[in-house]
Amino acid sequence: MRLTQGAFSYLPDLTDEQIKKQVQYCIKKGWAINIEWTDDPHPRNIYWELWGLPLFDVKDPATVMFEIQECRKANTTGYIKVQAFDASKGCESCVHSFIIQRPKTEPGFYMQRTESEGRFQRYSIQSYAVQARPAGLACTA
Amino acid sequence: MHVKKNHGINFRVICKWMRMAGVDHIHAGTVVGKLEGDPLMVKGFYNTLLDVKTEINLPQGLFFAQDWASLRKCLPVASGGIHCGQMHMLINYLGDDVVLQFGGGTIGHPDGIQAGATANRVALEAMVLARNEGRDYLAEGPAILQSAAKTCGPLQTALDLWKGISFNYSSTDTADFAETPTANV
Repeated sequence: MRLTQGAFSYLPDLTDEQIKKQVQYCIKKGWAINIEWTDDPHPRNIYWELWGLPLFDVKDPATVMFEIQECRKANTTGYIKVQAFDASKGCESCVHSFIIQRPKTEPGFYMQRTESEGRFQRYSIQSYAVQARPAGLACTA
Repeated sequence: MHVKKNHGINFRVICKWMRMAGVDHIHAGTVVGKLEGDPLMVKGFYNTLLDVKTEINLPQGLFFAQDWASLRKCLPVASGGIHCGQMHMLINYLGDDVVLQFGGGTIGHPDGIQAGATANRVALEAMVLARNEGRDYLAEGPAILQSAAKTCGPLQTALDLWKGISFNYSSTDTADFAETPTANV
């Protein structure tokens, strides 16, 4: 089940050329770019791992592409996304976010039902990929 | 309440009141949808809701410059007859900071609501991708949509069904200011 988070997840996977153009757009707008990765695709997982530091004041898209390559080398089987932050007054928030790498198989999510007091059902969403596996090994190539 | 030019309250004033009152979002026009909407007037509404600093812009009906200081923005909502075949025009006229609501444009899809939603989403993502790349997405819009539809059946169906739908009538709400060129002397 393809993860549909981010700006372009409903399109075919982006090529490096397309990623670079998005990066150039963000730089032109004066936004700070950061790269994040994770092996936990849960929609409530809002804290992906930050790769290096946020790339404030980076004017050259090649720098960002280099960091993306380094992140890919270190995380061959997880999700990687690129985000952009607009620090201008009145905005001060993340304004762009798109996934640039995903595992070869995305098994998706299932609903877990837990019976609580008085046989009342509590529901939660669980990810097949991270179920019962230690951190860092959830996604297989 | 502002359709007649000689009485009522202009919607720009409503926008200002609502933003200052702390309203989170407000329907502010679509330009290309089924309700009437002059592009310049709608731009004036959206700017009133979103500007950090409003500049004087007479064709948009903005007669006074204003610094909004730290007053929160109010998110404009575009709803009413819009469909995925208009995505290039929607992004051109309405920008990024807007809620696009496709009612009929989603549930009217022949293959069901999920197909309708997928068609809208794919159209939007393809258009934003093209715009960010610096393409002339307004002129190439239909071609961009057709290209995206090649890998998205629901979008192809939607484009085929609604390709002729547009709402072309002149708005009764027009600017009170018309730019007239002055002769060189």
